[in-house]
Amino acid sequence: MSAVEPAATGHAPKAVSPLKEAWTVYRRNTPAIFGALLLLAIVVFVIYGTFFYQGDPYEIVWAPLTPPGAEATVPFGTDNLGRDLLRGLLKGGGPTLAVGAAAAVITLVIGISFGGIAGYFGGWIDDLLMRITEFFQVLPALLFAMVVITLFSPSTITMAIAIGVVLWPQTARLTRAEFLRIRELEYVMAARSIGARNGRIMWKVILPNALPPLIVSATLTVGVAILFQAGLSFLGLDDPNTMSWGLMIGANRQYILDAWWPVTFPGIAIFLTVFAVSLVGDGLNDAFNPKLRER
Amino acid sequence: MKLTRRDILGSAGAALLAPTFAFEAQATDVPKGGTMVMMSTQVPRHLNPAVQSGIATAVPGTQIFASPLRYDADWKPHPYLAESWKVADDGLSVTLGLVKGAKFHDGKPITSEDVKFSIETIKAHHPFKTMFEPVSSVEARDEHTAVIHLAHPHPALLLCLSGALCPIIPKHVFGDGQDITNHPANSNPVGSGPFKIAEFKAGQQIVLEKNPDFFIEGRPYLDKIVIRIVPDLSSVILAIEGGQADFLPFLAESQSIIRLRKSDRLGVTDKGYAAVGPINWLAFNTAKAPLDNKAVRQAIGYAIDRNFITKALLRGIAKQQHSPIIETSPFFNPKIPSYGLDLNKANAMLDQAGHKKGPDGMRFKLTIDSIPGGGEEQQGIAQYLKSQLKKAGIDIEVRASPDFPTWAKRISNYDFDLTMDEVYNWGDPVIGVHRTYLSSNIRKGVIWSNTQQYRNPKVDELLSNAAVEMDPAKRKAFYDEFQTIVGDDLPIYWVNALPYHTIYDKRLGNIPESIWGSMQSMDEVYWKKA
Amino acid sequence: MGLTAYIFRRLIYGIILLAGVLVLNFFLIHAAPGDPAETIAGAMGGATAEILSAIRAAYGLDKPLLTQLAIYLGRVAHGDLGMSYYFNQPVIGLIAARVGPTILLVFAAQLIAITVGVVMGVLAARKPSGPLSAVITVLSTVGYAAPVFWTGIMLIILFASIIPIFPVDGMTSARFSGGPAAHAADVLYHLALPAFTLAIIFLAQYSRLSRASMIDVLGADYVRTARAKGVSETRVVFRHALRNAVLPIITVAGIQFGNLISGALLVESVFNWPGMGRLAFDSVLRRDYPTLLGILFFAALMVIIANLLTDLSYRFADPRIRTGGR
Repeated sequence: MSAVEPAATGHAPKAVSPLKEAWTVYRRNTPAIFGALLLLAIVVFVIYGTFFYQGDPYEIVWAPLTPPGAEATVPFGTDNLGRDLLRGLLKGGGPTLAVGAAAAVITLVIGISFGGIAGYFGGWIDDLLMRITEFFQVLPALLFAMVVITLFSPSTITMAIAIGVVLWPQTARLTRAEFLRIRELEYVMAARSIGARNGRIMWKVILPNALPPLIVSATLTVGVAILFQAGLSFLGLDDPNTMSWGLMIGANRQYILDAWWPVTFPGIAIFLTVFAVSLVGDGLNDAFNPKLRER
Repeated sequence: MKLTRRDILGSAGAALLAPTFAFEAQATDVPKGGTMVMMSTQVPRHLNPAVQSGIATAVPGTQIFASPLRYDADWKPHPYLAESWKVADDGLSVTLGLVKGAKFHDGKPITSEDVKFSIETIKAHHPFKTMFEPVSSVEARDEHTAVIHLAHPHPALLLCLSGALCPIIPKHVFGDGQDITNHPANSNPVGSGPFKIAEFKAGQQIVLEKNPDFFIEGRPYLDKIVIRIVPDLSSVILAIEGGQADFLPFLAESQSIIRLRKSDRLGVTDKGYAAVGPINWLAFNTAKAPLDNKAVRQAIGYAIDRNFITKALLRGIAKQQHSPIIETSPFFNPKIPSYGLDLNKANAMLDQAGHKKGPDGMRFKLTIDSIPGGGEEQQGIAQYLKSQLKKAGIDIEVRASPDFPTWAKRISNYDFDLTMDEVYNWGDPVIGVHRTYLSSNIRKGVIWSNTQQYRNPKVDELLSNAAVEMDPAKRKAFYDEFQTIVGDDLPIYWVNALPYHTIYDKRLGNIPESIWGSMQSMDEVYWKKA
Repeated sequence: MGLTAYIFRRLIYGIILLAGVLVLNFFLIHAAPGDPAETIAGAMGGATAEILSAIRAAYGLDKPLLTQLAIYLGRVAHGDLGMSYYFNQPVIGLIAARVGPTILLVFAAQLIAITVGVVMGVLAARKPSGPLSAVITVLSTVGYAAPVFWTGIMLIILFASIIPIFPVDGMTSARFSGGPAAHAADVLYHLALPAFTLAIIFLAQYSRLSRASMIDVLGADYVRTARAKGVSETRVVFRHALRNAVLPIITVAGIQFGNLISGALLVESVFNWPGMGRLAFDSVLRRDYPTLLGILFFAALMVIIANLLTDLSYRFADPRIRTGGR
């Protein structure tokens, strides 16, 4: 699935050119560019909110459930305790994205290890690791994450671990497929024949060429992880001492009949983030896989 | 609301007429029939209130089981399964005369053996130990007479024979030797009350059907009561607003109450909760520094703005609470000190207590817990306190428990500084108030015991005296002094009374408004024909 | 390999997988902080040392962990999933009452998602660079990105409160009375919003997949041949292309079953749908471990069965596999 087929000479392709070629394709893909810009805007907003903005999102500043636009000091309105929604949005982005990113990293680490080793060595190692992977795939993700979080107390870290633990099988399968394919290519055979150690071959030779679909998968995993976190917060299984967008939704869920804004604004924030991430992921997917593009 | 000696000693012979009990005029042409759909957010474990406390079991349980007495809205007892009762002059025994011809849902007669069995079961298994603790024995003197013998006078006893506190359960079903707390019949009971159980879908729905052989002629008026269990409050509100339900008791959420008041079809009342006495409070761990210092606790009291909490956070729906005893109780003392907002005083007291502000403006750090799922009353106020107590230089960390058992374990094992809590009076102070302040009730591992580890020998003495004092005036004096002392010691800062309201379709008549409300039989509720 | 042998092998494998799930969950739950005896005592209203040891003896909690596991596995093999800590009723009864509604919800959602998704994909594929295709792509990404519970809440407010066409919650009406046909209609009426909400996420995926798949297939040789022979466009699409384009969707639909169950958890929560998801969530909060273990077991069972059915239908649909060729 790499964009580059090895040349007939069997030389190892340069690591740079698939990226360059991908970028050329990506550039022309309007939704993908839009997604990238949106994501950039969100990241800037979140960085500002996390590191530069000084307001305390927990401080009670105005009357509870003030609608947006009714009062200048709280342009987005207040929640059921009278806390400023804008502050919540600014400060809540960091933990939300952090959980998403951390969960994606955990997923990648476990998934690539399992899949890579299984795909490279084959045989009984492959069988064993794949059985374990299928085993985790059979557990319904949200349910299992919920069990893990409740048993070990909700916090940002437990959440990231719980989500990472349920999402890695997909990455593992993908990695394995890639490793299986690339393993047979001539340049890898060449590396083995000159006596390179297995570890070196796997991580220095095969992995860089397996990266493109993994990058796509990682991007999408971030989106799924954020949705997971929102879902768990909605169910009330989150850390109340860390303001996150999901927490805002969960805390104000019961007022939705009379006050749509405390739930809608963080919901939109989550939606835009996942939307942007999906567009970028799709764009990357198309860029790395020209065959699947429309004719 | 004042109880006279005569009320307590009983209505010897006065109540031999068919038990009437209506608030409105007893009409024989009350329309009969119809189904009432009730909503609830609470999930009962089973339907036997003899071995389980709590509202969730009490509401259906009191329709299925009858108790010896019933109470009206003025704290006056009325005959029910006991058509007469007499308290002996020395206060050491109470004789109940049972209605003749009353039958269980399986047709077997209700006798004094069943009353004996029920009281013994409740005494052995119900979490409220103080209810029947003074009962030394119950004598089944003849088929329709039961005598309760007491080790000492017990003024609370009559109240304990009403509502959900004393369901009369069949000995021939529950007395078969199986462990009654796990008895299979708990989920499919043979009862003694106006409604029979038709269906119990655990966690979803309870269907109650009219008992055609109920011992009060012509009752119940309704054919069916369906209780739908929906844990999500928004869905409950939408359902009752849209006419998919007719009755919703125990609603405390302020925004919903305000919203439903606007409905033309629905009535909203706060009556029916006088005996429940639900208090929302902030508890201090008085054995842990710096909270072991009374001045620190009082300072915290001065730093909290009850006005803001009740008027802004709770939207004016709830009333402030300054005392361990609820305002609707005959024993309430209005003269207890109340700690109005005074931040200067709070800061001064803390300075004097030796807790100076550090470079970050904070004096010390405290954690605060709250009952999970408690909403605006629990998590809401805890968050408010975090913000408000900062102004007194106290750094608050809000802790969350993922579920009730975790929170209960923390608190009952004294692993806390501050916690929000909701505790009920349950009618007589002996039942629901003593347990919080008696030093003898400091029981590790048991939630809603004296988890604050508060010890004051004078309070112990006052409460013990009040528990056995039959003279209402003397009893009130004990409780008055008790409230004054704990109001000063402040092991607990009482914030507000939980504003329980009942929402009902206006076409329903005889909505339960007695002191027990919907935790008492609803055999008189009926549909007014339009 | 022959069909029977294949099924047999898969079944054995499935049983081993289930046993593994049971063991893992058992240890996980018992490794967590918190004493089940205290939980049960708390549910009853209070605990003292005597009550706690009585509970431990009654529930076999005083035995070593491995013994408890062995006893549990033995019971499961006989169909006994133990007693709920909270309700004191057999777990299998509690779950049995809830499995139906969850399966109903999940299948209805899957049906809606596949049918609407395929149709949308086919429409988009006819003019791949046209405006309809772009709209469908964007819509499908939107459907995927919005949190499902948020969508559910919005739908309830829109269609159960502002424009009251659908019921607010539950699977049946409280005041219902009538025969089986009326009952079925009542259930379907309640099913509409929740099934649609759950379908939206997957609809996004399937429509995108079907579009890509149809585009691929429509360019294939045998399709071009059919067109050259003068077969009408409709016949080309529906007789020749669709059957093959649907294959990847079936595969993905099968793989997504686990995610459907997760999504069902949130949807059941929002709509108070009386399914397993709702019971799972409540059991987690109440620390009702036997019920939780039972649900995890059942969910895994459902996923395994769904995988098996998907693989089997795949074999039937793809003639290349059926004839045994590689």
